[in-house]
Amino acid sequence: MAAPQYYDIVQAREGRDVLWRPKAEVRRSKCRCMNLPAVLWSFVGALPTSSQECNFGSSLRPGRHETRALVIPQDMESPTPPILHGPTSKEKKYDRQLRLWAASGQAALEESRLLLINSGPGVVGIETLKNLVLPGVGHFTILDSGIITEADLGVNFFLEEQHLGGYRAEHTCNLLKELNPDVQGDFITDHIESFLSNQLALKPYTLIMVTSPVKAEILAQISSHASTTGTPIFYIHCVGFYAQFSVHLSPSFPIVDTHPDPLSTQDLRLLTPWPSLLDLARRKTTGLEQMNEHDHGHVPYVLLLLHYLDLWKAEHDGQAPGNYKDKTAFRESVAKGARTNTPEGGEENYDEAVAAVLKSLNPPSLGSGVREVFEAAECQNLTTQSASFWIIAHAISTFHKTHSALPLPGSVPDMKAQSKDYIELQNTYKTKARHDIGEVTENVRAIEKQLGRTSQIEDSEIEAFCKGAAHIKLVRGRPFHIMMPGQMPAWGDRAKFAALSLTDPDSLVLLYIAFLAYDSFISSHTTGGLGSASVVPGENNTESDVEMMASMAYAITDDLIQQSGIAMSASEQTVAKGKIEQYVRELVRAGGSELHNISSLAGGLIAQEVIKVVTKQYVPVDNVCLFDGIMSKSSVLRL
Amino acid sequence: MGRDKLTRQSLGGSLYNRINEAKVLMVGAGGIGCELLKNLVLTGFGETHIVDLDTIDLSNLNRQFLFRHEHIKKSKALVAKESASRFNPAVKIVAHHANIKDPQFDVEWFKSFDLVFNALDNLEARRHVNRMCLAADRILLDAGTTGWQGSVTVIKKGVSQCYDCNPKEAPKSFPVCTIRTTPSQPIHCIIWAKSYLFTEIFGTSEDDAPELDHSEDQENASEIEKLRKESQALKKIRELIGKETFKKSVFDKVFHEDIDRLRSMEDAWKTRKAPEPLQYDKLVAETTGIASSVAQSDQKEWTLQESFVVFNDSLDRLGKRFQDLKETSNGNSSTPPILTFDKDDEDTLDFVAASANLRSHIFSIDSKSKFDIKQMAGNIIPAIATTNAIVAGIVVLEAFKILRDPPEFDKARSVFLTRLSNSPGVTASESLLPPNPYCPTCSVAQAQLVTDFTRAKLKDIVEGVLKAKLNYSEDFSVSTEAGVIFEPDLEDNLEKKLSELSIGKETFLTVRDEADDCPRTNLILSMIEKSLPADEGAVQLPEAVVIPQRPQAKPEPSMSNGSNATNGTKRKRDATEADLEDAGKMSKKGKVQESGPITIEDDDGAILLD
Repeated sequence: MAAPQYYDIVQAREGRDVLWRPKAEVRRSKCRCMNLPAVLWSFVGALPTSSQECNFGSSLRPGRHETRALVIPQDMESPTPPILHGPTSKEKKYDRQLRLWAASGQAALEESRLLLINSGPGVVGIETLKNLVLPGVGHFTILDSGIITEADLGVNFFLEEQHLGGYRAEHTCNLLKELNPDVQGDFITDHIESFLSNQLALKPYTLIMVTSPVKAEILAQISSHASTTGTPIFYIHCVGFYAQFSVHLSPSFPIVDTHPDPLSTQDLRLLTPWPSLLDLARRKTTGLEQMNEHDHGHVPYVLLLLHYLDLWKAEHDGQAPGNYKDKTAFRESVAKGARTNTPEGGEENYDEAVAAVLKSLNPPSLGSGVREVFEAAECQNLTTQSASFWIIAHAISTFHKTHSALPLPGSVPDMKAQSKDYIELQNTYKTKARHDIGEVTENVRAIEKQLGRTSQIEDSEIEAFCKGAAHIKLVRGRPFHIMMPGQMPAWGDRAKFAALSLTDPDSLVLLYIAFLAYDSFISSHTTGGLGSASVVPGENNTESDVEMMASMAYAITDDLIQQSGIAMSASEQTVAKGKIEQYVRELVRAGGSELHNISSLAGGLIAQEVIKVVTKQYVPVDNVCLFDGIMSKSSVLRL
Repeated sequence: MGRDKLTRQSLGGSLYNRINEAKVLMVGAGGIGCELLKNLVLTGFGETHIVDLDTIDLSNLNRQFLFRHEHIKKSKALVAKESASRFNPAVKIVAHHANIKDPQFDVEWFKSFDLVFNALDNLEARRHVNRMCLAADRILLDAGTTGWQGSVTVIKKGVSQCYDCNPKEAPKSFPVCTIRTTPSQPIHCIIWAKSYLFTEIFGTSEDDAPELDHSEDQENASEIEKLRKESQALKKIRELIGKETFKKSVFDKVFHEDIDRLRSMEDAWKTRKAPEPLQYDKLVAETTGIASSVAQSDQKEWTLQESFVVFNDSLDRLGKRFQDLKETSNGNSSTPPILTFDKDDEDTLDFVAASANLRSHIFSIDSKSKFDIKQMAGNIIPAIATTNAIVAGIVVLEAFKILRDPPEFDKARSVFLTRLSNSPGVTASESLLPPNPYCPTCSVAQAQLVTDFTRAKLKDIVEGVLKAKLNYSEDFSVSTEAGVIFEPDLEDNLEKKLSELSIGKETFLTVRDEADDCPRTNLILSMIEKSLPADEGAVQLPEAVVIPQRPQAKPEPSMSNGSNATNGTKRKRDATEADLEDAGKMSKKGKVQESGPITIEDDDGAILLD
């Protein structure tokens, strides 16, 4: 962004779905709002038809809105703002992605410095960088000591005849920069060993990607850097029809802005209404039976449900319908309230009320993601150094202890209603949400004082946290497996899960084991010496390589089963090993070469996860992702 | 070592050779197209044809990597070819800067390809290619993306679901009076500004717009008549463009006078707040010191006064442009100059954003930032490089299966990208589903007509082929995409030439059997152009056609998401029924799913614009 510091991000004042689902208006073929007979105006202009864009295939719904409102803080609302930033050409260029991750995400992307450690003619790393340079990552560096050969030209779309004999890092870097003049890039042609001999070599980078083949000791060195600094590391394989990458994140990687499904963010509190909501419901449903047709058909469904809940409770010792049977009975009672002597034979607001019973009549509950955050040691034992995430989390957990509910998000879905009533209902929710935010803010300020922190957490940060509180997520990053020569991977607390996955036909854990054997093969075939090339399976003798790699994979499998303590029948083991052998055979057949569309696809998948990690938005892969191009199938495993 | 050694090794020699010999068509050279073309070229597809009508825009550059800043306004197809040719000199690329619906791309032309890829972002073109591939019996690989989500599917006539087998979202429609009289949502005001106010002043009149449905005008004659008068009065103001009084006249008309009229309908405001008209002079006084550069603050919600300043300023800019147009077109004044709304045209967007917010203020509706209004008015769909790269990679994998010898069609999959955090994979795939037996596009009979367009009349088809050769009796209709051209009560067109009815060799005709007893399934006619001897019929049916009977039980009528004027009402389901249907869907999905849950959305009629 031209000036991201001028922007502040807050959640849209109302759920986007309100704007985008004016269904009451849309689906009504007769508008009766003004007791006027009406015309159906088929408004094609707002539709994804003709020249407009609707990218979806037959089976998926169009994507949801993930945009968040960008609001300029008070000081920018002066009548004559500085002319600093209209929609600049840069903003226009990034328009389509700003609608996904907003200015905050873009700023984070532009502040990042990425390092790609590459060797061999593989391009999956370059494909990944391409997908990060286009959306405007801040800076990238390519570390690659390789020289361009014919084989590179066949897979690397950037390189042409004229580049033969030059440094792969240099030419690729220059051509990547051409994709986006706003992006800085450089390259290093040192051998990786000499580069890493400088203790501070990795320090400048905020995220590091390493592509296979790479020596185990090098990988271990980088992994240990990740463990000490919290720098995210991606370790990538792409061979033939298969791709795999592992992500090593910090052990405490919290995400506030997970972009949950808008439908899941609706929190109406129908079972625990606060006084002003109850009051509104009673006022608007007084004399419901006697209302004229128009008024009766326009009582917002949220208020209808509150009204019928009152009636229900009066007949059921003050208890709201709790189980499925009661809810169904309650739903019946609501449905009976609808008038059927209308021209449509029913009432849309009642239809909405009936449809909402099962999904809206739930007591407030804490999702497992939030619970995990509240129970985390970082949340319970705050220190002066605690990140603001944990301070706010603590403040919200205090709020939750007091009220047995999270702060109210405050958005209200679209519904059949008169505008005035709808706005009043909206305001009732908004006011309550603001009140909750206020209380959390007080908690935060008290904690800050207690800890003796000098700088205050921004109000906007607290507000964003409160609104997304039900969907915050803590990722516990962990190191990935590194196949040191002669060693077996340690599966730790994931051994049981991994062992059970061996017999799961949907899991790609067997492919993962094949890749571990692939690395193991490379470890045991590396000749040593500075800059010596890795020998990959299939490069020289295919059949003996298959044998050797398969026996390595079987050993890893046996060891895993042993570590897990799970009993597995001989026949199950035979089946699993048979599949492993197929994977191994296919990996060896490729001889370390990439298939272009697989590296391109993997480059898309990896770049997508890099964006999530860098922007701290959405929930990234944790921690292994596999793709099987023969079955067009993927798998994300925590290993 | 040759440059293709690695690819050949991965794919195996025989598949690689078939790919080398393949001639494929890629429709669309945008986000998916750029990625796909790179994959096709580097994988070694022998000959690739690209068709795209579009030109390059700045907002494409964040993902369409074959294009650079210096290519803006140039043809996507041509630049894509130029950029991608360098990746692999051994393959042939042919670019067509044209509309895929042009007559040159007829069924015969589609037949010349081994495979067709859809890399399109609009429904209409995707449906067209779908129909063409069905008619030409070519396998279509259809790919689409929206934001983080994407899908790939394989369409083979008679074997798997076609693009139309699943009904698409119904067209979004707003009752006239919601837009013109009783708005309650920001979107209503935005549509009013874009499709009513802007078009009445600078464009063609709303009355001429095809989306206006007059079928119920009779019922509301009096209000419609008033609204029509309002429109006409507004059109008169158009003549003031360039004059000092222009801006105030527009403002007074739509933000004061018309609002006053609405206020006078007291019945309407008994239960809601009546709209408050705005005063031009008062606002002028309040806005001294507000610079018009406020229009550039597109992220914040403007105040009433700021909206007013932008309204005036943008109206000035548009007025000048309109004047300039008028002067340059003075020589041939047959077509009056018009301006059209374009989300990327700053002047038109400013005007729509400001007008929408002024109207929102009048009706006490929340205002929206220009950034948001741009998305809502322009139907902007988020798009990023990563999703396109993934989808384009998957499409090529599916193409491999089809190109194998023998084809591994049974292994082909529909693949979806999800961004669900609880999904075990980043993609989900399912086996291809068989065609929907009620699909209006593929579960129909197909026939080709050899047609001499120099003299063929509709009568030649209706009498000469349908009645004489195919045993249609009386009750049937013939329609094009534009609507019905023949039915028992509509015989005026029989004597017209096909060309007069805009029927060309790219047109599909749908014949619907309306007989009460055992009606036959719909028949889709496609055309082959040929000059025929004068003593023969101008339209001939070269091959015998079997038209099966329509399946008995009719499911819920599917919405045609296109231009057919027939749709409009949607049967409203009650909630219980909706629950049941959702449950049914869930179990069905559960069976076919390959890995990972597929998003099951509550099909409550939510209408999402993107």
